[in-house]
Amino acid sequence: MSEPKLVVIFLRGGADALSLVSPTADPHYIDARPGNLRVGEGTDILGIKLGDGLADVDFRLHDAAAELGTLFHAGDLSIIHATGLTDATRSHFDAEARMERATTSVSTGGWLGRTMGLLPVSGPLSALAVGTSLPEALRGSTAAVAPDLPDLVMAAGHWLAPALRARMQSGFGAHDRMDATVAEILALSQTLEDRFFVPADGSFTPYETNVEYPDNGLSQSLKTVARSIKAGFGLRVATVDYGGWDTHAHQIQDFPQLVSGLSASLMAFWQDLGPMQAETSVVVMSEFGRRLRSNASGGTDHGRAGAMMVLGPQARGGRLLGRWPGLANDMLEEGADLAVTTDYRAVLAEVLAGHMGLGDISTVFPGLSAQPVGLFG
Amino acid sequence: MQLTRRAFHLSLLMTAAATALRPIAAQAATNGDQVFLNRLTFGASPEDRRRLAEIGRAAWLDEQLSLPARPDDWEARFSAMRLKMEYEADDDGEGHSWPGVSELRPYQYVNDSPEKVLPLIDWSIPMSYGERSRPGDEVIALSLPRAVHTSAQLREVMTQFWHDHFNVHSQKNEFCAAFYPGFDAMLRENAFGNFRVMLEAMAKSPSMLFYLNNDESRASPANENFAREILELHTLGAGNYLNETFPVWSDVPGAAEGLAQGYIDQDVFEVARAFTGWTIGDGRWIAEGVNAPKTGEFYYAEGWHDPYQKRILGREFGPNRAAMADGHDVLDMLASHPGTARFVCEKIARRLLSDDPDPDLVGRLAQVFLENSDNPDQIAEVIRTLVNDPAFDAPPSKLRRPFEYLAALYRATGAKVAPTEPGFHYQLSRAGWLQHTFPPPTGHPDRTDDWMSSTVILRMVDFATFAHDDWFGVTTTRLSDVLPDTVQTFGDLADFWIDRLQGLSDPDMAVIFAEWGTSPLDPLPTSADERHDLSVAVISLAALSPTVFYR
Repeated sequence: MSEPKLVVIFLRGGADALSLVSPTADPHYIDARPGNLRVGEGTDILGIKLGDGLADVDFRLHDAAAELGTLFHAGDLSIIHATGLTDATRSHFDAEARMERATTSVSTGGWLGRTMGLLPVSGPLSALAVGTSLPEALRGSTAAVAPDLPDLVMAAGHWLAPALRARMQSGFGAHDRMDATVAEILALSQTLEDRFFVPADGSFTPYETNVEYPDNGLSQSLKTVARSIKAGFGLRVATVDYGGWDTHAHQIQDFPQLVSGLSASLMAFWQDLGPMQAETSVVVMSEFGRRLRSNASGGTDHGRAGAMMVLGPQARGGRLLGRWPGLANDMLEEGADLAVTTDYRAVLAEVLAGHMGLGDISTVFPGLSAQPVGLFG
Repeated sequence: MQLTRRAFHLSLLMTAAATALRPIAAQAATNGDQVFLNRLTFGASPEDRRRLAEIGRAAWLDEQLSLPARPDDWEARFSAMRLKMEYEADDDGEGHSWPGVSELRPYQYVNDSPEKVLPLIDWSIPMSYGERSRPGDEVIALSLPRAVHTSAQLREVMTQFWHDHFNVHSQKNEFCAAFYPGFDAMLRENAFGNFRVMLEAMAKSPSMLFYLNNDESRASPANENFAREILELHTLGAGNYLNETFPVWSDVPGAAEGLAQGYIDQDVFEVARAFTGWTIGDGRWIAEGVNAPKTGEFYYAEGWHDPYQKRILGREFGPNRAAMADGHDVLDMLASHPGTARFVCEKIARRLLSDDPDPDLVGRLAQVFLENSDNPDQIAEVIRTLVNDPAFDAPPSKLRRPFEYLAALYRATGAKVAPTEPGFHYQLSRAGWLQHTFPPPTGHPDRTDDWMSSTVILRMVDFATFAHDDWFGVTTTRLSDVLPDTVQTFGDLADFWIDRLQGLSDPDMAVIFAEWGTSPLDPLPTSADERHDLSVAVISLAALSPTVFYR
């Protein structure tokens, strides 16, 4: 495996891990939530059994996560429960920033930015943030930022394009803060135009795949990643955001749709990769989980521990990992939330070592001294 | 080599521009008035520049601070505008159908009373979803012509600021959309006003109540969404979230004296309880035999309130207090809190001046904010202090965000902006700007680092290149019509647009131009189409300049 690739899907808003990977038989869980906000026997969502690897509470995936169940039972997907930040924060902003920087020093970028510093560059597109702004995790790198690859082409097909390019190449004055961005535009624009633009049609070649992706934003983003991987531009790291998980109300309507989008789009992406699966790992993470006890408006508020997922043949999948702390009041964090028993960085560190092949990751996660999770064991 | 007509003219133009650019560049870089205007408007227009030169900065600022939320020039323009409504014939699945529609309509909801929108959220009345979301669509479509054309520029700049501060995704659902014109008008009305007044109007706004779910918050457990965001995003700010440092309320400095310096999760829980029952008069079920009235306005549901004692920021709230007393007292505490003063003033300085304003300056602004806590012109006083500070003369350092860049472009060219459909919303979204539809409650970020990406810069290049074309859907102005009679040659054309844009040239640009060969004294072609195309060419190249990207 010459160039292992890492795709990080961030579930923005705080995904309710207790509904995604549910301890269905736990009496505290059953007590704390009405039937429509949990999974298991006696509810409308029976769930997909995962086996009893972690604790004797019959963990099940949400019914809307059928494809994740398939990947899990095929041995490709690992789930690590009760993961999260060791810092006690229930703020989206604060939790996302801490998680993505993964260091107390703000001056050293994000964990993926530091990772990029350890990887040799072997193409024009070694890191890609799908979207319109660089996520904190990739700060410190020169990642390309775009919803889709044609978005990185300057004024494609316009009669002024050569003049605009010349103007940009000339440097157009003092603009030191724009230097890196301009350099990136110049490095990529022509390459991508040559590859994907059809002057006769005045348009870009659409991405062709035999796999049918479900129609949602996550699919669009993952198609961009698949296209980038297959294009042979040396992609090593890609980030994808999937928002909308802040289910303070109407969770019964919104959550199944979110889960089904995640599950079906991820499966489509995985099938689309074909032989490239062997070189790829996908990590799914969120800034926190949600409160054990639901609120009186049909939702759940910000909690603490969540669940992470790692997809890829390098890890030994089909296992539920981590340490389940239980949901009795004295086991909860501040009496309210699933406690964090696995530092999220421990999971990421193992992926960087076991999949990306990095030996020394002390600069990526300074001061990390967590117990191994055993993803690759 | 065969040149196309456009390429040939471009070649003429390049030479012309090369000679014209340098002296203007030196002028633009040192023109403090333009920097001043670019900070306080959506881009200096020729009219702004004339007005400022005429009356000076102090009078210009006074004039801007005194212009009303609906100045006459805007109302005249507004009443002439139309927005398309288009949908196909359909039915609601229960036997009620509606015919297809494709028509230009006046803006129906922008100045209307809130009960007018109640039918839009009543699903027993069959209609297309396009009708239900129309009020939100109208505000989105109007936002660009407002930014480009209103004389009350500073008020509009601050209205956009408050939209990002009190972010609501207008198209989250039909409820947020229906009441969004009222929310938008409230922010514009209070843009220079009193923060405490605006905070309560925001907390009672149906759009915000729906967006952050407080409309459904009742005892018990309360819904914490609004409580967390009013603390973190609207008042004290994330910097005063001390949960990791202090696990217990009584440990937070100031708590023992009845005003904690910051907040922890225990405060979030209690603030959520304080706002239980703050909901909407939309006829909803409250209890057996009790429905909220159908007013389209804020409604307090006593039966949903959690009445028992609370402790917020170290202060004790007794049980069973008067209606809304818990919520009102929380708003009082937050609006007058020194942490709020600093957080809000720093954001205002970040918006109008620079990403990281000097902490001493923020301190001075916060002092003014606190001293004027009862002043109906509290925010105006903060702005006045900021603008009069010597720090306000600093050179430009902020990348224009996509919406600001597009508006500044139109203000510079003088194009008349009256979109009949909100298609520009899609164009902006490709650059990450989701006008009035930003999903997370943080609103658009306001630091250059958040916008400095290849995609954003490339879309701004696109705007300069395409925004005056018909398909963009924003303007029908032909740039040839903007040119005065004095523009006769290629050289004149370059001078004219570079001055309008305050576009900076530089020695490097001359290198490009030198590759083309003709004289700046050559006459312009007479065809309007060619003059328009040539204008687009100059604008696109001149806009690829730090003085246009930055404000």
